[in-house]
Amino acid sequence: MAERLNYYILFATYTQGMALKDHLRSAGIPCRISPAPRSIQGELGCGMSLLLEEEHIEAAKQCIRENHAEYYDIQALPCQINAKRGRFC
Amino acid sequence: MANYREMWEQLGMDLENHDNLCAVLPTAFGDVYLSQENRPESMDFWDMVVADIHGIRPAELIEEQKKGRKVFGTFCVYVPDEVVIAADGIVTGLCGGSQFWVPDGEAVLPKSTCPLIKASVGARLGKTCPFFRIADMYVGETTCDGKKKAWEILGKDVPMYVMDMPQMKRAKDVTKWMEEVEDFAAVVEKTTGKTITPEKLAESIHIINEKRKALARVYETRKADVIPISGKDALLMMQIAFFDDPERCAQMANRLADELEQRVKDGVSVFPAGTKRILVTGTPMAIPNWKLHHIIETSGGAVVCEETCTGTRYFENLVDETGTTLEEQYRAIAERYMGIHCACFTPNTERVDDILRLAKEYKVDGVIDVNLKFCCLYDTEGYVVEKALKEAGIPVLGIETDYTDADAEQLRTRIEAFIEMLG
Repeated sequence: MAERLNYYILFATYTQGMALKDHLRSAGIPCRISPAPRSIQGELGCGMSLLLEEEHIEAAKQCIRENHAEYYDIQALPCQINAKRGRFC
Repeated sequence: MANYREMWEQLGMDLENHDNLCAVLPTAFGDVYLSQENRPESMDFWDMVVADIHGIRPAELIEEQKKGRKVFGTFCVYVPDEVVIAADGIVTGLCGGSQFWVPDGEAVLPKSTCPLIKASVGARLGKTCPFFRIADMYVGETTCDGKKKAWEILGKDVPMYVMDMPQMKRAKDVTKWMEEVEDFAAVVEKTTGKTITPEKLAESIHIINEKRKALARVYETRKADVIPISGKDALLMMQIAFFDDPERCAQMANRLADELEQRVKDGVSVFPAGTKRILVTGTPMAIPNWKLHHIIETSGGAVVCEETCTGTRYFENLVDETGTTLEEQYRAIAERYMGIHCACFTPNTERVDDILRLAKEYKVDGVIDVNLKFCCLYDTEGYVVEKALKEAGIPVLGIETDYTDADAEQLRTRIEAFIEMLG
């Protein structure tokens, strides 16, 4: 079975991120606020990202275009979430 | 671009080691928080705060410092925020809730010190937390022996003021605490260069009371038969409350409460019907300590209330707002804070009364009494707490843990068995 991908939209500032979150929510596109995984954050100062399931990413890109929303990058990663991992901070 | 790296560098932080902390937070937050379904939309605010936890709020604090304001770092719910705010100061919580900071704490403290103290000292000495770098003054208190000695070590590295907590709750102890509050006010005035007037203090008492009321509104919804918010999300709101601007905290908590009250009306629950309702009691859970809540809520339980310093002890009871002189106001502050029932007091029967009351109000199926390893006070009081609960016919599980991952599976096994036993 193909590995499920999660998409992270990265931002230069959290205000850009919150603005796009509002656009996505208004358009009914599910997204969640997530700390950006360190492996894709690079030298970006902002740690906030928007996490989307792969079936919603094309609609999100359309929403970005329509609203001229600012963002830094979009990166795909295999799903990182595992509720039973038993690893804490 | 929000260049937080430059800010951290200017704060004298160990960037290389701080990067290691930044690397583990997204995974832990994803596993604990983003694995949940149907979270309240208003949690967006707290998710954003965590996503940039060492960026957004520290940058705000630094901006205020540039305007001449002073930041006071505190470790305990007995330190009265009202006094600091009345002198135009800012309060930030400093308790460490991560195993990441523990080794740096153990470099100067005995291993047999509670993880909260070790992490707090380690966060400062290891230079891996901006809040610990930003605070102009630390304010400690004498609520346990470990803290008392830790303040002496921290005091070599940062300006430190210690409030002397009474050990009993007699009338003369309340008066003594009032005197401590007055002494603290004098130190705050000297540090900020601002005078505390009755008008300013009345205003700050009102601000903090409004914050308490907003947090209480969120908790009130957790008493409903449907559970509109997970314990983990409620815990996150509480943990951030120690760091945030109090008026914004009240605004965000009220917005969340609006949503939760609507969920209750609409019968929306984040747990399946029949999920066992758990009251957690005991030691505080400083951010990012989400371990126990997560294990409970992925083992068939739902945490509906916390009788902890990161729970009801933080917001229950208000400061009387009718005082018009500083003396009356300091008395009112002392009385409110002495109504917090920490295990550092003897006797402390009121805490047992609180637990029994909360168990009834939140309609709990069972209680988990959690104790951070090496916290002698809560560990010892656990005997009385658990005995009282058993006598009241309320199932109870006593747990001792720390911040490590090592006991996660063992805890899960015990908690699953406890929840199964609840029927």
